[in-house]
Amino acid sequence: MGEFFDKLVELFTTPEYIDSLLHGFLLTMQISFFAIIIGLVLGTIIALIDTAKPSGWMVVPKFITRVYTTIIRGTPMALQLFIMFFVIFAIRGFPQIIIAILAFGFNSAAYTAEVIRSGIQSVDRGQTEAGMALGLSNFTIFRRIVAPQAIKNIIPALGNEIITVIKETAIVSMVGMYDLNMAAKDIGSGQNMASYIVPMFTAALFYLAVVYLITFAIKRIEKRLRKSDLRA
Amino acid sequence: MAEKIIKVKNLKKEFGKNKVIKGIDFELREGERVVILGPSGSGKSTFLRCINRMEEPSSGEVYFNDILITDKNIQKMRQDIGMVFQHFNLISNLTVMENLTLAPVILKLMSEEAAEKKARGLLRHIDLLNKASAYPASLSGGQKQRIAIIRAMMMNPKVLLFDEPTSALDPESIGDVLSLIHEVANLGMTIMIVTHEINFAKEIASRVVFVDEGRIIEEGRPAEFFAHPKTPRVREFLEKVL
Repeated sequence: MGEFFDKLVELFTTPEYIDSLLHGFLLTMQISFFAIIIGLVLGTIIALIDTAKPSGWMVVPKFITRVYTTIIRGTPMALQLFIMFFVIFAIRGFPQIIIAILAFGFNSAAYTAEVIRSGIQSVDRGQTEAGMALGLSNFTIFRRIVAPQAIKNIIPALGNEIITVIKETAIVSMVGMYDLNMAAKDIGSGQNMASYIVPMFTAALFYLAVVYLITFAIKRIEKRLRKSDLRA
Repeated sequence: MAEKIIKVKNLKKEFGKNKVIKGIDFELREGERVVILGPSGSGKSTFLRCINRMEEPSSGEVYFNDILITDKNIQKMRQDIGMVFQHFNLISNLTVMENLTLAPVILKLMSEEAAEKKARGLLRHIDLLNKASAYPASLSGGQKQRIAIIRAMMMNPKVLLFDEPTSALDPESIGDVLSLIHEVANLGMTIMIVTHEINFAKEIASRVVFVDEGRIIEEGRPAEFFAHPKTPRVREFLEKVL
């Protein structure tokens, strides 16, 4: 226990280590943030295509999005990352962070699309019919009736997806990127502290803190959105 | 002879291989109150829902004021064809007031102030003005359905379609809803109503239409229809329900 405490002091009093941790943390957050944004935008587009009426020319984009989500969800994230790094973006000097953001963004889009699609489809058909019977346009029905109700269904699952992305970015250490996970391993290695326990627990606490904050925020949003469900 | 407001010609509707409507011809004149009766599964609700294209007809034509209803003009037509649903379908993310004013304001039929004034008047009339800012989840079934009826009335429709408006209600609130429908009828509203409430049908109908297996098999004035049914199928049905 004494040694653990000593290592803890060592970690937090060596500016080099703190620096490494913060750098790693920053990279983790950057990759996660932009990947989640890409996932949300692309995922929303895919979901809208998936839920659109299957008329005429819509079959083509519908087919493409189905192939896309099938491939993304059917293969390991680590392999997708490798393919992005060593096949698609095997370009010397191309910024690694952008490759990572795209890899996680494209991956997250498939899952986000499923979350949004099921959220839209779980809105009662009668709600759409009410709008139709009043002579409202499909766009107005979506914007004023379906979307607000779908968002209520979507937010909790979307929170899970955001958390998953943040934790999953830890595999960028497999392609040599210096994220929070990599920083912990580096600080604990032989030429540095020669003990993994403190840096790794510290990294775990960083991840936990972020996940906890997001969970808290999501709960707050959910509560606010649920005001129309209250029977009072 | 009053104006024909709705004309239906050789209407058919299939769900996959299941033929629900097998060819219906029908006319609705202004001021008529048509009650559609029939056993469950007969296609009477589907028939009603084909008129304002809640269901897309498989074939046949529906005319509103002598204009053929198509995918292009249906949106505009629906502003004049009100509908009240079995499950009320109040919009759950909007308050009662917003449910009433959303369509007339968005479609620019009324200013927001005028719509709210009209909505308040109608809410007061059905004794639910105190629920104006409530969400539908906090209302009883009977309250929801009465609000759904005045929501349809907000649009000043030319005809009002009722799809089993009391089937999802508890016995106590059925009376409230039926008396509101009576009031609407007494304003001279043209009405088509699918219902299982035989006594109500007798009181309100100017004409009764009996649908069985996707066809209209008998129709007539309520006095004759109930007292002297012409077809054995209707006799059998009335014996069971009366």
